[in-house]
Amino acid sequence: MDELTREFLIESQEGLDRMERCLTDLETRPKDAALLGEIFRSVHTIKGTTGFLGFKRLEKLAHAGENLLGLLRDGKLVADRPLITGLLQLLDGLRSILKSIETEASEGDGEDTRLIEELGALQAPAHAHQPARAHAGSHSASIAAPVAPPESTVPSAPPGPAVVAAPAPPVNAAPAAEPEASSARPQSSPAPAAGTAAESTLRVDIILLNRMMNLVGELVLTRNQVLQATATDPNMTLLSRRLDMVTADLRESVMKARMQPVSNIFSKIPRIVRDLSQSLGRRVRLQVEGQDTELDKSQLEAIKDPLTHAVRNSLDHGIEPPAERQAAGKDPEGTLKLRASHEGGHVIIEVSDDGAGIAVEKVRQKAIERGLITADRAAQLGERELLQLIFLPGFSTAAQVTNVSGRGVGMDVVRTNVEKIGGKVEIDSRTGKGTTLRLRIPLTLAIIPALIVRSVNQSFALPQGSLSELVHIPPELAANAIEWIEGAPLHRLRGKLLPLVFLDRLLMPAEEHRPTTERDNFIAVLDADGRRFGLVVDGLADPEEIVVKPLSAVLKNIGLYSGATVLGNADLALILDPGAIAMKAGVTMSARDESSDVEEELDANARGMDFLLVEVGGRRAAVPLADVLRIEQLPASRIEYIGYRPVLNFEGQLMPVEDSGGVLTAAEADPDAKIIVVVCREGSRHVGIAVSHVLDVASGADLFEAGTSQRTGGVTLLKDRVTGVVDLGGVAALPVAETSTGQWNQIAETLA
Amino acid sequence: MNKATVTHQSGKSMKDVSAALVEVCSVRLGETWFGVPITHILEIVGAARPQPVPLAPGYVGGLVHYRGDVLTTVSLRQLLSLSPKIGAQDILVLESAGGCFGLLVDSVGEVLTLSASDHEPNPSILDQRRKALFAGAYKLKDRLLVMLDPERLDPLLLSQAS
Repeated sequence: MDELTREFLIESQEGLDRMERCLTDLETRPKDAALLGEIFRSVHTIKGTTGFLGFKRLEKLAHAGENLLGLLRDGKLVADRPLITGLLQLLDGLRSILKSIETEASEGDGEDTRLIEELGALQAPAHAHQPARAHAGSHSASIAAPVAPPESTVPSAPPGPAVVAAPAPPVNAAPAAEPEASSARPQSSPAPAAGTAAESTLRVDIILLNRMMNLVGELVLTRNQVLQATATDPNMTLLSRRLDMVTADLRESVMKARMQPVSNIFSKIPRIVRDLSQSLGRRVRLQVEGQDTELDKSQLEAIKDPLTHAVRNSLDHGIEPPAERQAAGKDPEGTLKLRASHEGGHVIIEVSDDGAGIAVEKVRQKAIERGLITADRAAQLGERELLQLIFLPGFSTAAQVTNVSGRGVGMDVVRTNVEKIGGKVEIDSRTGKGTTLRLRIPLTLAIIPALIVRSVNQSFALPQGSLSELVHIPPELAANAIEWIEGAPLHRLRGKLLPLVFLDRLLMPAEEHRPTTERDNFIAVLDADGRRFGLVVDGLADPEEIVVKPLSAVLKNIGLYSGATVLGNADLALILDPGAIAMKAGVTMSARDESSDVEEELDANARGMDFLLVEVGGRRAAVPLADVLRIEQLPASRIEYIGYRPVLNFEGQLMPVEDSGGVLTAAEADPDAKIIVVVCREGSRHVGIAVSHVLDVASGADLFEAGTSQRTGGVTLLKDRVTGVVDLGGVAALPVAETSTGQWNQIAETLA
Repeated sequence: MNKATVTHQSGKSMKDVSAALVEVCSVRLGETWFGVPITHILEIVGAARPQPVPLAPGYVGGLVHYRGDVLTTVSLRQLLSLSPKIGAQDILVLESAGGCFGLLVDSVGEVLTLSASDHEPNPSILDQRRKALFAGAYKLKDRLLVMLDPERLDPLLLSQAS
């Protein structure tokens, strides 16, 4: 395909996308001259260029459309519903020819006579507000002399002084036509936000962007290696920090270059809503918010189908027919809201309707009917848990199979597609009020945070997205902490049984492995595709930002690895796929586990925050989990004293250690004793708290009451017991240790 | 990659001068020398330690980091049922229809220019497995150089075969 044709295809497609947006807008504002002008220009540009390139079939069709649009623009016709339907058909017709030019380099031999006749018929008197002569003339021109050169038909079309002059004449080449059209856009159409100034933007091949992303990935790896290699060299600190910063900036810029506004996929929705609401007999108003929210291009492509599916679902199952809505006392016109927004490193896309909501009882029945769940179990499930069932494969509540939805492929496909790109799907529904589907999509796929774990003497990367917590079971506790049912290992995590998968046994089934009682066991608690299980590994390394490298087909077929990556120490690590591991190990999808998760989340939301429950000198105390950076076990000799203040040299910085429980004093007698220090974040500094034991993590209610001692910032109800919360601010409020070290030394000197 | 393209072209031009000459890179495996036509070689990576991949098919020698990508390697020793070699090995980066892959050999020798008239097809007494991997042999003065067919070493093909 030559450059000119390619250029023409891209521009025409963009023009048609604009036209589609305008057409759906036109339905609400049928008299908007700017919209009409825009639509006319799109078709006119295609017609003009196409004559030059010699695509006869396209020219014929565009010409018929242009005649109709000319009348519309001049106010001789009114854009009513059948007319817009006709124009949408024209749009589809033009698109299919463009597609065939793109794929087969020819226009194809389809027949457009019917469509052209229909477009001609739309110019008929029923729609016209002008003497029949004029449009009869243009009508016959479009049918009788279809192959006539554009020059001869343009004069016969109604005169359109202002806008016809704007696009380039047909003899002009395509590249010249586009800048004119786009420069005309900002003045004539304030509505489409996508119109960007042509001067400050340029088209970049996506392959080039992918390559840049790949190279940035390489740079991130090299940076990681440089940082690790120079960590101990003070001369390099400044340089490596700078490298670190520049790399981060560059990465961000390249990622930004790959971003596209969600309006690119949102713009397809009005058409779908329009077509569907007509065929289903619904009245629907579409509201779109946050069109400018940006997402990586590949992510955007990946959510196109799930989003369309969600919209179809809302229209088919959600919003009721007008009569039904009226009977329920609602506005006969339903509302479908599309909303995109940023939240942390994610983009949230919400599809919400004010329809009937999901009938939970129906879901229950259906799930039992389909054998997805036993009747006993279904009876125990709450509303929220039942809602999760619609994500199970083979579930569909549509009473009858329509061409819109209800073919058994449903929400599970939405969930699978979204999870494939590292996202999550949440659903919220209230009977009679409506349903909200929330897609949570990470900004990019190429670089992900991961925890590096060790097993079978190798490093593996575990994506942080599916990791919910880590549990360490030392060899001496393994006999009790890991329980077995007929060879199936389980761990009791906060009273619930968690199935365990030993990574070494999974990866090397043929070999003998050390029993759990002779080694450290680290359980990574994972949530993958609704399966919750613990992956047991031999060791943990640091979390790292990893660059995902694809694997060859042979290794992909193993099914356990989703890619490979190069670590900071230049080692290669395979990236584990938690979902695949769960499948392979036979961990089944369990609605129960999922629901307990939801419950926990609910608890956390409703009752406050999570706390780390610790024991300090025989008393129980709580530390806000959000403030906990890490838990260090170290020899008591590492604790040093400045005056009476215990301090810890932590990562090269001095950190005050709070010891109100007398843990350090108790350990002093035995120099080999190990102590546990909970390292917390307090403002911008770190604070250590010496504790006897770390007991658990639990959520509690914040109860700030007067009358507590100075050490506790408050109390909380934790596991049904009132527990004191360690006041971290209180620790830092005694700043003697760090700031006045020098002063103290001076005092010491004067004393001496 | 440039280097390989250049040699590739020079190989071609030599072919034009005398169609009977072929350039072959010799590689050693234990005591045996094998030959790989240099037109298929992208690069030679010395002293590599591939990262093993648990649960991978036996012929997969592991992964190596190669120019920003992760390259799957095929262990020639494994394919010929020889005992695995301890320590570093050399890798021939080969190009095939399905992309690049690495071939693990004990060491890489030299590039030989051979006459096509010295080539003989696989002997009929060779076992099936070797017959599938070898592409005949060149009769050198003092020994035989067994030719490997890079196309048949592609891990994807091997996985279909097994």
